[in-house]
Amino acid sequence: MRWFQLLAASVLPFVALAAKKSSGDRFNDFHTKSVASGPLKLDDASYTQLTKAPRDYSVAVLLTALETRFGCVLCREFQPEWELLGKSWTKGDKVGASRLIYGTLDFVDGKNTFQSLMLQTAPILLFFHPTIGPNAKTDAQPVRFDFSAGPQSAEQIHTWVSRHLPADAVKPTIRRPINYVKIISVTTAVLGVITFFAVASPYLIPVLQNRNLWAAFSLIAVLLFTSGHMFNHIRKVQYAGGDGKGGISYFAGGFSNQFGLESQIVAAMYGVLSFATISLALKVPRIADARAQQFAVFLWSGVLLLMYSFLLSVFRMKNGGYQFWLPPF
Amino acid sequence: MAAPEEGQFLKQANSQSTRGLLRVIILCLIAGAAISSRLFSVIRFESIIHEFDPWFNFRATKYLVQNGFYSFWDWFDDRTWHPLGRVTGGTLYPGLMVTSGAIYHFLRFLSLPVDIRNICVLLAPGFSGLTAFATYLLTNEMASSPSAGLLAAAFMGITPGYISRSVAGSYDNEAIAIFLLVFTFYLWIKAVKLGSIFWGALTALFYGYMVSAWGGYVFITNLLPLHAFVLICMGRYSPRLYVSYTSWFALGTLASMQIPFVGFLPIRSSEHMSALGVFGLIQLVGGVDFIRAQLPSKQFQTLLRTLILVIFVVAFGGLVLLTVSGVIAPWSGRFYSLWDTGYAKIHIPIIASVSEHQPTAWPAFFFDLSMMIWLFPAGVYMCFRTLSDEQVFVVIYAVLASYFAGVMVRLMLTLTPIVCVASAIAFSQILDTYLNLKSPKVDVKENASSEPAKVVAAAVLPDGLRSTRNPLVGIYSYASKLTVVGSASIYLMLFVLHCTWVTSNAYSSPSVVLASRLPDGSQHIIDDYREAYYWLRQNTADNAKIMSWWDYGYQIGGMADRPTLVDNNTWNNTHIATVGKAMSSREEVSYPIMRQHEVDYVLVVFGGLLGYSGDDINKFLWMVRIAEGIWPDEVKERSFFTPRGEYRIDDEATPTMRNSLMYKMSYYNYNSLFPAGQAQDRVRNSRLPAEGPQLSTIEEAFTSENWIIRIYKVKDLDNFGRDHQSAVSFDKGHKKKRATKRKGPRVLRVE
Repeated sequence: MRWFQLLAASVLPFVALAAKKSSGDRFNDFHTKSVASGPLKLDDASYTQLTKAPRDYSVAVLLTALETRFGCVLCREFQPEWELLGKSWTKGDKVGASRLIYGTLDFVDGKNTFQSLMLQTAPILLFFHPTIGPNAKTDAQPVRFDFSAGPQSAEQIHTWVSRHLPADAVKPTIRRPINYVKIISVTTAVLGVITFFAVASPYLIPVLQNRNLWAAFSLIAVLLFTSGHMFNHIRKVQYAGGDGKGGISYFAGGFSNQFGLESQIVAAMYGVLSFATISLALKVPRIADARAQQFAVFLWSGVLLLMYSFLLSVFRMKNGGYQFWLPPF
Repeated sequence: MAAPEEGQFLKQANSQSTRGLLRVIILCLIAGAAISSRLFSVIRFESIIHEFDPWFNFRATKYLVQNGFYSFWDWFDDRTWHPLGRVTGGTLYPGLMVTSGAIYHFLRFLSLPVDIRNICVLLAPGFSGLTAFATYLLTNEMASSPSAGLLAAAFMGITPGYISRSVAGSYDNEAIAIFLLVFTFYLWIKAVKLGSIFWGALTALFYGYMVSAWGGYVFITNLLPLHAFVLICMGRYSPRLYVSYTSWFALGTLASMQIPFVGFLPIRSSEHMSALGVFGLIQLVGGVDFIRAQLPSKQFQTLLRTLILVIFVVAFGGLVLLTVSGVIAPWSGRFYSLWDTGYAKIHIPIIASVSEHQPTAWPAFFFDLSMMIWLFPAGVYMCFRTLSDEQVFVVIYAVLASYFAGVMVRLMLTLTPIVCVASAIAFSQILDTYLNLKSPKVDVKENASSEPAKVVAAAVLPDGLRSTRNPLVGIYSYASKLTVVGSASIYLMLFVLHCTWVTSNAYSSPSVVLASRLPDGSQHIIDDYREAYYWLRQNTADNAKIMSWWDYGYQIGGMADRPTLVDNNTWNNTHIATVGKAMSSREEVSYPIMRQHEVDYVLVVFGGLLGYSGDDINKFLWMVRIAEGIWPDEVKERSFFTPRGEYRIDDEATPTMRNSLMYKMSYYNYNSLFPAGQAQDRVRNSRLPAEGPQLSTIEEAFTSENWIIRIYKVKDLDNFGRDHQSAVSFDKGHKKKRATKRKGPRVLRVE
């Protein structure tokens, strides 16, 4: 028993030394770990250890919730970017000249930390300035990056992090790994397309030279664009709106506003009107039978009038002060 | 005696020269209608320059007329972008100013001393008459029917899509550019048809003029090569195409490089590379075509084909390499954002912030083009009937321009000419068919028997269009003729009514002067802008620097004649962001910025009293966004929104919002107009906090009649070296707060 105590006593200085060594140079410990694996995977204990007050290095910690049961899509979307950033940073800065550690704290491993920071949302990126040393900031509070603008790319976070480091610090650039699969698949696809065209050209060329096809293609393009398809595309408008009583409203209120369905209805109206015009101008004079022709004229004129009148009534709905109308509507 | 004379007269009326005369008269009437429908604003208000950009053009024109051409060319303007200045002569499109300067001198030469302002005001309507004429010429090249050209001219003359940028007083580049655009296209079609160097050179000449007038010349630079390229792909290469394209490209590029603002861009930027590429391609195709005519050997042709392919790939690769290495500038942001529509919003907020760069919703199309919007596809379809070289041009132009117009409201202007041409083709087809007095004889039997066999034969791969496969018969009954012609004329009348209504209601406001209706129906003029600008002109030092958001820079320069920090020529994003930061920060932050830029007065536009929605508080978020782009740590858009994500100005407004300089300047003293606690903002429909904002570093200098413009004077440094907050609180009689805790117990000094 006695010799055990002695042993313990004799070991004590070494233990203290070892402990002192690791606490005194926490940066090197964490840095060597992160060189091997990219951003450190933290838990409550290592988080406190890493961000403990007297530190002469900076820390960037991503607080996230990766498991599917939390339903954080943003976290999962951002995670590869974050790892890419951490990896290329530590790769580019193996000696640790920038004195920056990347860490990731998942909610599963760090519930207490999340509670103590009173976090309700994830992901959140915290940046801890050094508290001692040449680049120390007096404000001990970490800087917070909210992902309010949606998922960010590694480059955007890189600029954000670099902004918080001193100007002369080492800032390794992001190196995205070369996507061999993509290169190979694109090459194969291109070659495939070329081969396909070479083989199928006898059958394809008559189709490509078909005037009706091109006419249809151009008309559809023109109708789509003039009925505000690009507006839907750019503004990402909703497809249809509700009228507040459980029904669907097809037309959005306001002059510079529209629904997806609305623009399709308008395109269809334009299409019908154009078709009626084309029929009147080109088809009707080619009808050999006099009575059939008479009927066709009345039919297409009627369609034209009805549609145009409806179009005007829709437009009156969009533009309150508009005063012109045609009979039926 | 009378009868033979009448017969002679009728015969003459049908002859060529009388028709020509009639056409001239009709065209003159159309030009007259085009000009007069653009004069609403002059009649309702006065002969005044409109909006924003025209004020700069007007100022530049005055400079040109006063100082002559050469000093205009070398003009360095130190009264804008203080303290940087702007190399104005080298950064503008001089075509517009030079045109009105030439007209001015010409009229003086005729001893007609017309004021330069009136020339500037009336330039756009005058050129709209010419545009109608150019449209007539262009359509005549496209359509066989002589009435199509006249219809197109009439459409072009009164369509709101073009009037929107060419009412009297809208002295902008587009005023002459649309005429040049249409006329250049006419010349190009003529050149392709005739294959003559003369017409090609004329195209180049007017292309050069166009380059000097408007940045939209890039549309021509890309459309003509595309036309040539499509023609080559369709196997329609001909020496005519070669001659016209090469003469246009060589001379036109040289001409465009004469403009200092364009300079070497035609050989160094991606926007111009398609023209260069097609130029190379057409050389190859021309060379091969020549050699093939000499050597009919089959193997040699294969060799040639390979050669072309190799050269093409090498040239394309070289182009890509040059672009990547940076010799050729990549697409500039404004053009790039046309293709990648999400680009501008993320990277260049200053482009995204301009309202005319927004995408177009369908009502805007109908508003600007009315009936033509559905005649347009029909006209494009009709071009597929014969699909001659020039009709290919119509199709390409139509598809491309409708895409551009859909992406940017502003580009509706380039769509309008082709819409007029195409719908005139469609409409004249209807009129020609149904206005023909001769009816065909009913003679059906023979046709019907021979028809099916023919149809089946042609059905596998029809040569023409599906709808024109049968032979043309004509219209039998007068009832159908009457129905169609009657409804067509009703639609035409409705079109004219629509155009007049739109022009009068939407496009004739100078936006410098606002009009409103009083309860009794009479018109009330709101003239706050000019009131404020004249106040500046008369009450401030000649070189007092005015800080305002960039929208008002040109107006301050033009009307108040005072130096500004930023203006509508948004060439320096950082400088604009500086102003944005000053506006969106606290006074303590803004004051040093304003001192550093020697700002004497700050001008804000406030619509809360009148319900004028285009004011600075509504534009404020763009200032914040642009400033955030440069100083993401100091200005944050998020902090201007309440925790629930609302943009508010009332009691629940965020502290950042309520402490921002813009908010304070807008609402300073505003609640003194209302009974206590009832101050109301009529734009945002919300009640303001009971206590209004306090200002310390600036003081109110002027507020216009309806509070639309408010001008503040930046205080000088305090005489006693205090900071402004404590100086203000001292003046108000507040006692200076003393540090409550003394530094320590009193000790006896022992020394």
